[in-house]
Amino acid sequence: MFGLHYRLERKAIGLVLGIMLVASIGGIVEIAPLFTIHQTVEDVPDMRVYTPLEVAGRNIYIREGCYACHSQMIRTLRDEVERYGPYSLAVESKYDHPMLWGSKRTGPDLARIGGKYSDEWHVAHLMDPRAVVPESVMPSYGWLARSDLRTDNLGRHLKALRTVGVPYTDEMIASASADAYGQTAPDTNFAAGVAKRYGEATNIRPFGATPNGGLTEMDALVAYLQILGRLTDAAHRPVGG
Amino acid sequence: MIAELTKNERNGALVILAVLTVVGLVMAVAGYADPFGIHGGLVAIAALAGIFAVISGYFAPEPTLARFGEYYDTPSKIGIGLAMAWAVFGLFVGDWVAWLLAYPNATFDAGWSSFGRLRPVHTTGVIFGFGGNALIATSFHVMQRTCRARLPDQLTPLFVLFGYNLFCILAVTGYLMGLTQSKEYAEPEWYVDLWLVVVWVTYLVLYLRLLARRREPHIYVANWYYLAFIVVVAMLHVVNNLAVPISFYEAKSYSLFSGVQDAMTEWWYGHNAVAFFLTSGFLGMMYYYLPKRAGRPIFSYRMSIVSFWGITFFYMWAGSHHLHYTALPQWVQTLGMTFSLMLLIPSWGSAGNALLTLNGAWGRVRDDATLRFMMVAAVFYGLTTFEGSFMAIRSVNSLSHYTDWTIGHVHAGALGWVAMITFGSIYALVPWLWKREGMYSPRAVEVHFWLALGGTLVYVLAMWNSGIIQGLMWRTYNDSGTLAYSFVDSVVAMRPYYIARAIGGLMFLLGAIVGSWNIWMTVRMPAPVPADAGGDQPAIALQAGE
Amino acid sequence: MDIAHGTLVWLAKSFGLFYLIGLSLIVVIYACWPSNRQKFDRAATAILEEEDRPWQ
Ligand code: HEC
Repeated sequence: MFGLHYRLERKAIGLVLGIMLVASIGGIVEIAPLFTIHQTVEDVPDMRVYTPLEVAGRNIYIREGCYACHSQMIRTLRDEVERYGPYSLAVESKYDHPMLWGSKRTGPDLARIGGKYSDEWHVAHLMDPRAVVPESVMPSYGWLARSDLRTDNLGRHLKALRTVGVPYTDEMIASASADAYGQTAPDTNFAAGVAKRYGEATNIRPFGATPNGGLTEMDALVAYLQILGRLTDAAHRPVGG
Repeated sequence: MIAELTKNERNGALVILAVLTVVGLVMAVAGYADPFGIHGGLVAIAALAGIFAVISGYFAPEPTLARFGEYYDTPSKIGIGLAMAWAVFGLFVGDWVAWLLAYPNATFDAGWSSFGRLRPVHTTGVIFGFGGNALIATSFHVMQRTCRARLPDQLTPLFVLFGYNLFCILAVTGYLMGLTQSKEYAEPEWYVDLWLVVVWVTYLVLYLRLLARRREPHIYVANWYYLAFIVVVAMLHVVNNLAVPISFYEAKSYSLFSGVQDAMTEWWYGHNAVAFFLTSGFLGMMYYYLPKRAGRPIFSYRMSIVSFWGITFFYMWAGSHHLHYTALPQWVQTLGMTFSLMLLIPSWGSAGNALLTLNGAWGRVRDDATLRFMMVAAVFYGLTTFEGSFMAIRSVNSLSHYTDWTIGHVHAGALGWVAMITFGSIYALVPWLWKREGMYSPRAVEVHFWLALGGTLVYVLAMWNSGIIQGLMWRTYNDSGTLAYSFVDSVVAMRPYYIARAIGGLMFLLGAIVGSWNIWMTVRMPAPVPADAGGDQPAIALQAGE
Repeated sequence: MDIAHGTLVWLAKSFGLFYLIGLSLIVVIYACWPSNRQKFDRAATAILEEEDRPWQ
């Protein structure tokens, strides 16, 4: 009796192990090489990290599911390059935890939207897309302008990002909340700190010019949109250059 | 339900629920400034409701040993009810977002009701809510029958079922509050994922315990498919959801992976979720309920085994076809494409096996809408897998990717295959479980069948058209060598198809409502008087519990 | 952690192929093994039997 029972159990466990083995090998073979991919990803020294405000904006982009309608991955096809700009390089999403390449283009690709329109255009468009593009089916995001941006925990955000591999310094983490404000307040000491930590090329201006003067989620989202495709110039350089 | 638990199990349930209440309260207090706290409150409330239910039945007499002479079907019954409830809910939200693409203002001026938050509610509602509950409910039924043994205890299956539904509720309410990892089909945040791991491991252990008790030495092939579903989904879930939370009292986390790696991991997960959640598990359903309902053994048992290993093996390599022409290394793309093509062999093996099983019983297929559900499911399975392999070819993919064609493909699979095989199985199962002659209204099954088939066809044809038009418009050049259409031109061209799609979805939703009503009425029908009352007694002396 | 990328890619490509062929062979042989035939036939028909209650 014990013998039979033992054999039965062994068979079931064997089946489970078989499934695991057969199933995992495909994944391992296909994915493992990607963990050494830093050896193949282009090395670009000018690649900068997202500022705290841009991180917050990116999180709003995630929260609202913009990725459900917009891709951020220009494929290596002629028409895509002509429509959206130079095709996306692996290095450009190096600091994207998670990536937002997307899978569906109900709206256009946004990988290179940064700088294409003014801040005012984005705000008006997000408030009511059909006021700007009458045929649009994009949702209105009016409440973003009514919601204050939460900045008190941005330091923890940067810290978690550092844990997963984004090179934020202690100083960046410590001043994350102040930097979020600083990026929207040019000609202040706060703004100078942002420029010092994240580089002179950082966009520093009151994105969206929120009426009540406080930081809103709209400001953060626009700050993020305006940096898309501009963390490095690598894609614009001639191949091999 | 509680009366079926032994004293020990009732105590066990109370302990689990008490722990859960405490966990929920701690979450609520620690995370008071974050949606995390709201979820804590939700967990605590759910657990308290459970405690209340257990206590109210606590002093009912214990079940007798006679239970070992019966199968334990309560979890399957509850699971079917939950599956239908999630189906109606998930399909409703799906149809709402479909209308939003034609009438973008048909919603409230608030975050929770915007397209981007509702869409994952739809996908999670139908895949995990409807599909998952149906899989759990049928797997309990199938594995007991094919093992000729009763589930090892009464508490664990209920824990799996209710724990899983708690996962679904946390996921869906999270999206409405804006909590998402943005990984498609793996949106729930870190703590919800951890809870699913607990539930899922319990599910696997339960399955193994039952297999170990089986009286039938050979493990019937349906169980292999269910087992692969459980095992591989666990692997996928754990790897893809690796993330670092910003703190242990806030919901937000950051994926361990970034960029290319993240994309590859996500689509390795995403594609295999299709394989092992939406295919393997439902093939398990098909390999049991289709032969049962048709009254004929499966056409080729050998083919089902070969298909099984083929699917387990090939699918794993195919994920990268989601990333053609992207920044992913070319060799990975090619590998993905090759294996996607080879996948056709095991897939058609299964679809053909199902249809050949019905060969010779076409008269029954004509008269029996339940069997017809299953037949149509097999046909759609064959079509969808063919289409999938086709779309994985790089040049085809360059046109189809990012367009509605993908959506059409997914729904050919989701509506035509997954939902149809599930409805067919449920219609077969409900009268067996509740010991009724048949469904309350065979006519309503017929109505449901035609609504489901019509809805699927309208949906899929609309999306094929819109997808191909969209893809062509994006790449059309005019004579002077510039792009002929602006993006907005393509948005305008989609409108009639989006309306058609929403109508197709509405038909499918109505079908599900008719089905739910029919199931409800069947359950409420008076039970027939048993022919010989003696048959209720177990025939042979019982061995005491294990 | 510094296994060269090239090595891994090479391994994936070469080993993967043999693995694929080998596994397919094993599965087909198992499914067609003559002595398994009876077992499979029985399994296929067994589920159609009466199944009111567990076997004791
Ligand atoms: C229902 C799908 C949908 C969702 C969700 C969506 N969009 Fe859009 N988006 C569109 C469509 C369609 C267009 C093209 C028409 C237009 O410009 O409004 C568009 C256009 C845009 C554009 C202009 C692109 C260009 O190159 O002209 C931006 C920027 C944009 N969306 C940002 C966003 C952001 C940010 C979010 C999330 C807060 C978002 N979208 C959510 C559908 C969507």
